[in-house]
Amino acid sequence: MTNVKNSMASCCISELSFQSLCMLSPAEKLTTGRPSEGPDGSPPSVATTLHITHGVVTDVAGGPTDLFGGRAVPGKPLVDLLDEAEKFGFLPGGTAASINTALAARQSKQLLSLADGRSIMVATEFAAADDMTLHFVDVSFAVQMTLSQQRDVLTGLPNRVELLRRLNEHLASPASLPQTAVLYVDLDRFKMVNDTLGHPIGDALLKLVVERMQRLLAPKDVLARLGGDEFVILQAEGEQPHAAEVLASRIIEIVGRTYLLQGHSVQVGASVGIALAATDGKTPEELIKNADLALFKAKSAGRGTFRFFTDAMDREIQERRALEIDLRRAIIMQELSLVYQPQFEIDGNKLVGFESLVRWSTSERGSVSPAQFIPLAEETGIIDQLGEWVLRTACKEAARWPEPLTVSVNLSPVQFKSPKLVSIIVGALSSAGLPPSRLDLEITEGALIENTETVLLMLNQIKAMGIKVSIDDFGTGYSSLSYLQKFPFDKIKIDQSFIRSLETNADSAAIVRAVTALGKSLGMMTIAEGVETESQLELIARDGCAQVQGYLTGRPLAADAAAELISTRT
Amino acid sequence: MSLYRLVYYSENRISSSVADLQAEVEEILTQSRRNNALVGVTGALMFSSGYFGQVLEGPQAAVEATFERIQQDPRHGDVALLEFAPTDTRSFDTWAMAYVGEDSALFAHLGPETGFDSDKITGEALFNRLRAMVATNAAVA
Repeated sequence: MTNVKNSMASCCISELSFQSLCMLSPAEKLTTGRPSEGPDGSPPSVATTLHITHGVVTDVAGGPTDLFGGRAVPGKPLVDLLDEAEKFGFLPGGTAASINTALAARQSKQLLSLADGRSIMVATEFAAADDMTLHFVDVSFAVQMTLSQQRDVLTGLPNRVELLRRLNEHLASPASLPQTAVLYVDLDRFKMVNDTLGHPIGDALLKLVVERMQRLLAPKDVLARLGGDEFVILQAEGEQPHAAEVLASRIIEIVGRTYLLQGHSVQVGASVGIALAATDGKTPEELIKNADLALFKAKSAGRGTFRFFTDAMDREIQERRALEIDLRRAIIMQELSLVYQPQFEIDGNKLVGFESLVRWSTSERGSVSPAQFIPLAEETGIIDQLGEWVLRTACKEAARWPEPLTVSVNLSPVQFKSPKLVSIIVGALSSAGLPPSRLDLEITEGALIENTETVLLMLNQIKAMGIKVSIDDFGTGYSSLSYLQKFPFDKIKIDQSFIRSLETNADSAAIVRAVTALGKSLGMMTIAEGVETESQLELIARDGCAQVQGYLTGRPLAADAAAELISTRT
Repeated sequence: MSLYRLVYYSENRISSSVADLQAEVEEILTQSRRNNALVGVTGALMFSSGYFGQVLEGPQAAVEATFERIQQDPRHGDVALLEFAPTDTRSFDTWAMAYVGEDSALFAHLGPETGFDSDKITGEALFNRLRAMVATNAAVA
């Protein structure tokens, strides 16, 4: 392990910017000939100082760790000393030649990597024509410091700081712009590997991923790790956008191949977002940000694919942000309202309750579709606040109805992530003075996919209070039936997609029949939503559905109109 | 150290010229024989109708490292890992990497039976076929 680290350090030293090293290094002070204390406050361990006149050693000052093992003595030609040092292993092979070359060119600084991993700076003061002083200074600490600030510890790759520096440097030459692309790479399903097989295997996997990607890069490309399973590649030379496309495809293919780790066969994928230096950003930060935006699109397109950044993505994100701000304000400014769609018994047209539906309209935007703002609210966490407002408002308005009908309120799967959900429901009921039996909470299968145990626990608490729980959009999920077994729902709401295709698709009719039969045998009520025609109503009645909701029997109504309907219909 | 067996097949991505292909397969064999001998991996390789089929056996870590090198090789793709499991015995213990070549007669027989062209092929079937072919010695290079 130590060996690997050492070899990593020594290979990196050559890549280090000499300037950045000197900024951190006590050797910086050597230009004046007098090193001061090291970065950790301790004096730097000056290995050896040699004074050379006419190419011959005239004075020697050896530190506690003399670099030349006592071989540097006055009178010895420098050339001989360096040769000897190399021969006896005090300096690595080739060092003598490179020091001689540097001195001939009157270079004042040179960095040596010793075989034992130490880094030695040779700082030379050229006093007169044939008179100079060579300080051999151990700068290992400074080199390590610099490396740790520029490198990711796990993979040894440049980190974000170093990536930005390299990008800046690269973008400084205008000629390189048309050839440059920034690829943001993110692994798919990496978290699952970490969670199921543990971090040591996750770490080993990351190292192999890096190895695979590195083999696909050109010499001038830079691969950096920004943290977790996120990587950025600076593709330095290529005919764009073709080169970036080829690289992205190769990464997706090769990184996506099976890994074998400690007896496990592991599969991850890669998604890639690409920004081109010529068109997609002026600064390194902007290029990385836009590549990340493109990555987001690649991920939402189903992962394992790549996307180029487009201006439309930028506009979209701006609009999203504006919408988010407006939505947060809407909750405070009371721009939201609820409407209530009536629900009837399938025979007799008896009104049994209402489903509350949220509406939002603003003077600038007009009316905004819930299909647009609910997902946004879920992604941004606004749903907690929005959901609470809906619960409180629905309970309050239902409490004013002339008859004790049921009010249905939709809960988002995201709301179950808040441990406060149950107490929020209790609070809404008690402050409205609404009996729990009049509240019907509609959840989708989505609520039960993650943290199923926790969610079931909450649902049982809710049900124990006498609140009804319905399963919404039934039949659209992946394992609808299994959820019926997990929780005793009061009501199954058959998804409107089946109702809409009832007349044209025999399968839909069969599904509706099966679900109502299932509901009957499980003791669950069934309701069809989205019923729009008389023939649909006839069909669901024939198939045994108990209740109906839809444009045919009643459109959503404002709170007052709903109260009025109750007065006339009950 | 536990002994593992690995069986996979993959699609050839080497350019289609016969000469190129032969040269590349030669190189793959030379490389893999050298590497395998060093780490104690044995096995067999076949090439047919655009596919490679290979068995690797050896210490777990060595088989994993060898397979990783294979995975990083752009000369093939669509790698299907059919088997990776502990085993008691080596079946190719005298072969750093036996090559059973491309015998059209043999593969005409293999094709429809185990179906390189279908996804029904199993690790066991491919392993058995390779073992039988090495045993007959007919096509071993």
